[in-house]
Amino acid sequence: MKTFKFLAIALIASTLFWSCNKEEEIGPNDKNALTVEFDNYVGNEKLVLETKSYKNAANEDFTITTLNYFVSNIALKKADGTEVKFPDKYFLIRQADTKTLTISLPDVPAGDYTSMSYMIGVDSLKSISDVAQRTGVLDPASYGTDNMYWSWNAGYIFFKLEGNSSAATTPTKKFQFHIGGFGGKTAVTANNLRTVTASFGTTAAQVRKDIAPTVHVITDVLQTFSQGVSIAKTSVVMNPAASKPIADGYAKMFKVEHVHNDKM
Amino acid sequence: MKMTHWRTAALVVSFMVWLVSCSILGRDASPETLFAVPAGFPEPTYNLSKNPITNDGVALGKKLFYDGILSRDGTIACGECHNQSHAFTHHGHGFSHGIDNQEGTRNAPPLANLAWQDSFFWDGGVFDLDLFSIAPIENPIEMDEKIGNVLAKLRASKEYPSLFKKAYGSEDITTERFLKALSQFMLTLVSANSKYDQFLAGKAQLTADEAAGLQLFKDKGCASCHSSILFTDHSFRSNGLLPEYNGDLGRYRITENVADKNKFKVPTLRNIEVTYPYMHDGRFLNLEGVLQHYAEGVKETGSLDQLLKQPGRLGINMTKEEQQKIIAFLKTLTDQEFLKNPRFATP
Repeated sequence: MKTFKFLAIALIASTLFWSCNKEEEIGPNDKNALTVEFDNYVGNEKLVLETKSYKNAANEDFTITTLNYFVSNIALKKADGTEVKFPDKYFLIRQADTKTLTISLPDVPAGDYTSMSYMIGVDSLKSISDVAQRTGVLDPASYGTDNMYWSWNAGYIFFKLEGNSSAATTPTKKFQFHIGGFGGKTAVTANNLRTVTASFGTTAAQVRKDIAPTVHVITDVLQTFSQGVSIAKTSVVMNPAASKPIADGYAKMFKVEHVHNDKM
Repeated sequence: MKMTHWRTAALVVSFMVWLVSCSILGRDASPETLFAVPAGFPEPTYNLSKNPITNDGVALGKKLFYDGILSRDGTIACGECHNQSHAFTHHGHGFSHGIDNQEGTRNAPPLANLAWQDSFFWDGGVFDLDLFSIAPIENPIEMDEKIGNVLAKLRASKEYPSLFKKAYGSEDITTERFLKALSQFMLTLVSANSKYDQFLAGKAQLTADEAAGLQLFKDKGCASCHSSILFTDHSFRSNGLLPEYNGDLGRYRITENVADKNKFKVPTLRNIEVTYPYMHDGRFLNLEGVLQHYAEGVKETGSLDQLLKQPGRLGINMTKEEQQKIIAFLKTLTDQEFLKNPRFATP
């Protein structure tokens, strides 16, 4: 028994020693996951669906019942400018479904990443792809009543914000922003794909074989209204051409708050 | 030497496989019979390699096409608005009717030769046949169902899992398999055996009126848009119809380009005799009304097609007699084999 304990302690000690020694070295095949958390805010307040009332730049009061958006084409950038891309990863962030707010990128090569970029929406190539390519969050059968796909004008709804507002001109006082438009296949149409670049600030995301960083992104949904958008003027937006100011606005809503580099 | 042996062996094996499969599948049509490019037709636009047509795939697609299970309350099948005897249009209905007897906003277009079509709907809003079926299924005034629900109902049904297995090798019912089976059936709806086709093949004679109509069809410029063996150039054009009924602006709804206001897809004229009423909103009851429109009814729509702007007048200069002859020709585009083929019929 004693011998076993001694052996175990020695083993742990040597492992610790060994790992401490290796800390700063990055093996060529070291990999780990990187997690991004999307924490949706309205101004300085954490977004609460249904019950909480907010005010936009046009001084209109509103509640939010739905906030969904696609995140795709994520690229992580190192200080030297080299990039690691994740071209076939599509995520659908849905405020109503907490587990969608955290996304994970597997097998990120070890390294120090200083910023990330990603697209809000589904790129044009994927938007015209064969139905075989449309699985997971891109499967038109996956949305239930919270639809993110336009069947009549084939394409995805990149960003969806719905709620109620006394400023809305609809009989039910409901406002609906459904933003899509990848540029068109059979004709040139509005393109509301937006790419966001977010710096990690002073703390790089240090992917190591024993560190799987978490990047905490804070959004400000009020930015959706920042380009002169008002609920009174446009209570229902479902056509790409009219969506530009909304897309320009929400493209500004993402900021990296901090990065965790906790050891596993 | 070795190679030759292998080759011989491979030949023998494949011959045996062929023999066996023939004896097993003898009653089924060969893929070539299910879908073939008719003489004089161009290469299909649809990429058949991504959805190889098989007997079981087509059979599944046909069953789905005629099954109300695709709609919210089980009452509306695709075949409801797409009747074979009327070249898969909703006969007699200006606007097609959907669930709860609600009226749609457009006249159901014919389903024929879809493998050659690169956009769907009167406004071309969908660019892939495989993505097409989602729209009528989810449209609240057509079938008012969700694709996810349809798949759940099919999975829970007694017969569909085994039909999917037959078609695809496993019982998995996915969006791709569901949509591609529907495509397979629709792709087989090829119309290429009208009297006109037989005339081209030297197997039939046109009457004097029909022949004169064909000449007028070319001379008067009809064939500029209703071109080729498909009788459409697949373009979007304004043919002088103002949005009098429901403000439908056509292609503009998709492109949001002002120049596209009042433009609609040029439809094929194959089987036109039986696809009444006519135009995107079904405003003309018969072909006489259509020809009269082109002769006397064309309006400046803001995007009116150049071909309908003649010196000093709008529309096409045609006498009543010429119109009658063109109609006589158009009726030679009726394909009785297509309209009556039991392979396409309600099960």
